[in-house]
Amino acid sequence: MNQMPMTSENVTTMPTKNTKITARDVQVYYGDTHAIKDVDVDIEDRTVTAFIGPSGCGKSTFLRCLNRMNDTIDICRVEGAIKIDNEDIYDKKVDPVQLRAKVGMVFQKPNPFPKSIYDNIAYGPRIHGLAKSKADLDEIVEKSLRRGAIWDEVKDRLHAPGTGLSGGQQQRLCIARAVATEPEVLLMDEPCSALDPIATDQVEDLIDELRSQYSVVIVTHSMQQAARVSQKTAFFHLGNLVEYGETDQIFTNPKDPRTESYISGRIG
Amino acid sequence: MPVLWIVAIILALAVIGYFMGRYRAIASAGGDSRKLHSLPNYYGTSVAIFTTVFSLLVLIIWLIVQPLVIENRVSGTIPAEAIPEGSTLGLVMSDVRRVANGLDIAVAGGAMTEDYASSIRTEFTDVRDRLAGVGVALGSDVGSSTLRAAQLYRTMSATGALLMAIVVLAIALGGFLFALMRTHKDFRARNVVETSIRYLLIGAASIAILTTVGIILSLIFNTIEFFYRYPAWDFFFGTTWAPSFGGGSELGIIPLLWGTLYISFIALVVAVPIGLFAAVYLSEYATPRIRAFAKPLIEVLAGIPTIVYGLFALLTVGPLLLSVFGPNSVGWMGAASSVMTAGLVMGIMLIPFVSSLSDDIINAVPQAMRDGSLGLGATHSETVKQVVLPAALPGIVGAVLLAASRAIGETMIVVMGAGAAARLSLNPFEAMTTVTAKIVSQLTGDADFSSPEALVAFALGMTLFVITLGLNILALYIVRKYREQYE
Repeated sequence: MNQMPMTSENVTTMPTKNTKITARDVQVYYGDTHAIKDVDVDIEDRTVTAFIGPSGCGKSTFLRCLNRMNDTIDICRVEGAIKIDNEDIYDKKVDPVQLRAKVGMVFQKPNPFPKSIYDNIAYGPRIHGLAKSKADLDEIVEKSLRRGAIWDEVKDRLHAPGTGLSGGQQQRLCIARAVATEPEVLLMDEPCSALDPIATDQVEDLIDELRSQYSVVIVTHSMQQAARVSQKTAFFHLGNLVEYGETDQIFTNPKDPRTESYISGRIG
Repeated sequence: MPVLWIVAIILALAVIGYFMGRYRAIASAGGDSRKLHSLPNYYGTSVAIFTTVFSLLVLIIWLIVQPLVIENRVSGTIPAEAIPEGSTLGLVMSDVRRVANGLDIAVAGGAMTEDYASSIRTEFTDVRDRLAGVGVALGSDVGSSTLRAAQLYRTMSATGALLMAIVVLAIALGGFLFALMRTHKDFRARNVVETSIRYLLIGAASIAILTTVGIILSLIFNTIEFFYRYPAWDFFFGTTWAPSFGGGSELGIIPLLWGTLYISFIALVVAVPIGLFAAVYLSEYATPRIRAFAKPLIEVLAGIPTIVYGLFALLTVGPLLLSVFGPNSVGWMGAASSVMTAGLVMGIMLIPFVSSLSDDIINAVPQAMRDGSLGLGATHSETVKQVVLPAALPGIVGAVLLAASRAIGETMIVVMGAGAAARLSLNPFEAMTTVTAKIVSQLTGDADFSSPEALVAFALGMTLFVITLGLNILALYIVRKYREQYE
């Protein structure tokens, strides 16, 4: 694996960025445990942002705040302000169900529904009434599968069960499924941790392509992966956001000694 | 020697063997138990096992075989002319056993000497009178051949019992000595005990299986016997159920099957939606605290004896339905006993079956499925309806089929709630009856056991068994297929 960041070229060629997500003074509690402390972060549109850090540092928890998946956990409490497109997502007026259609999520383990490949993709559009007709739905399914870079592999067996695919194919199917509801932000919680190197490579290529349309936030345990796919990197440690900046800078010239210790392998 | 004594001696020998085996093993290691292959207890246990297992096995087999052999030998001595008109060899043999038993009591009570009991002749003594004197009443005078057979029976039993005691105790002692001689510090007693534990477990499993096989065989033989006396076609396709113990019965199973299926259907219509919704609530919506409190409470329903449900049907639900649908209002219902009464109550009984099994199955659906659906912006109920329930569906179908076979086999609620009239009707407010309820009424009467009216119970039982077995196999097949999906 290439330890050197490969994204310097990409970053310089990207157009000017708008801030997509703004988090200010975010605190998360699990019962009495203070899991996230004073996190401030601005996540840019059309950028891959990586969250790295040792296990239990709160990076997945913070990710799940961004689409309010933490609401499904009874003992979890979120404080502070998280805004997407300048709208507070924890405002009482915001329906978390609508929010999650806008902020898609891909999970650590591929979790296709026990339905056909077609129905897996069509699930979101059907729920949100995105398709006017059957032909419309067919088109959405094809477009999503193409964006998920899996169309060529499954186009002849759209009605075979999604659970019959290989691990890497399943994960790309899940990404295609998340893309099908036309989200603006895509959250990925260690999307490659259950995949082999070849499948990981395919998914990483896909993430790089998705950057052209979405703001992608990825949690990863692999620092090489963060260096390969992301333009911005945030390092979390013990519930604090220690350092946030250009991926290049984080990996070559970290400002905080804790970041340096982590990326050089001394802690974590 | 009584069997109890033999068992007591064997067990005493086993206890002695345990301590001697232990002692001998330790002694052979020079008092240092670390030099033994196994822990000292294993040496003792292996001696105890060798003392008891084989001797007790022989004892059990002997107790089963000896009466058969004696019966066979004794019945051979009864001449054909000694069997009265209209009687059978079996009836005479039961007389023989009774007389033999009476003589035993007389000897034990001191009314006769042993010699006298084995030498009395009907020509000189009124045996019936003498036995009545010691409290054994006989139905008729004792014929000479019966008495002689009874005396032979007694002699053979006595010899057999003596022989049994000698053989069994010899085997126990043999096993004891053999195992004790083997006990040495290098003897692998631990492995011997391990092997015998395996056989113990195999034995337990085979007893369950053999019992099932035995029950099925008895059903099959009696069913065949029934079909010799009553045409199978009329049984399976007859639409009238009218047993009459004087002969000339019509024994068609169709009305009974109809009643069974109708009542089960109503029960499932009640139980499946309620049970399923309860399961969805408990597993998806209820907080852990409510769940911990509500789930056991629902399962209490499963612990109520069915006779109590029967009372509930008879005293509460029946009269309630009658007041709503009875002659005083719409007039659909004539009496409190009806298909609806039994079906409703049976449905309530089945709720915990459906809800408890479905709850387990819904819980087995991986959380990742729910997260995936919620993450796409689905609401909770959309997630349940479109992802969780389809994923759990095969298991839920299995649960429903298990509940169905329970409903088909239910008896008490039907007896008390549905009435006893076998009827083919579509009106759910009429009294009908089921296969199980008729099995009870056919066997509890005083009918001659070899008449088709009594034997039909076995044919009914066999039919029911085949139906529920089929349902259970289907349910297991579906549940197993479901398991393959996630593992």
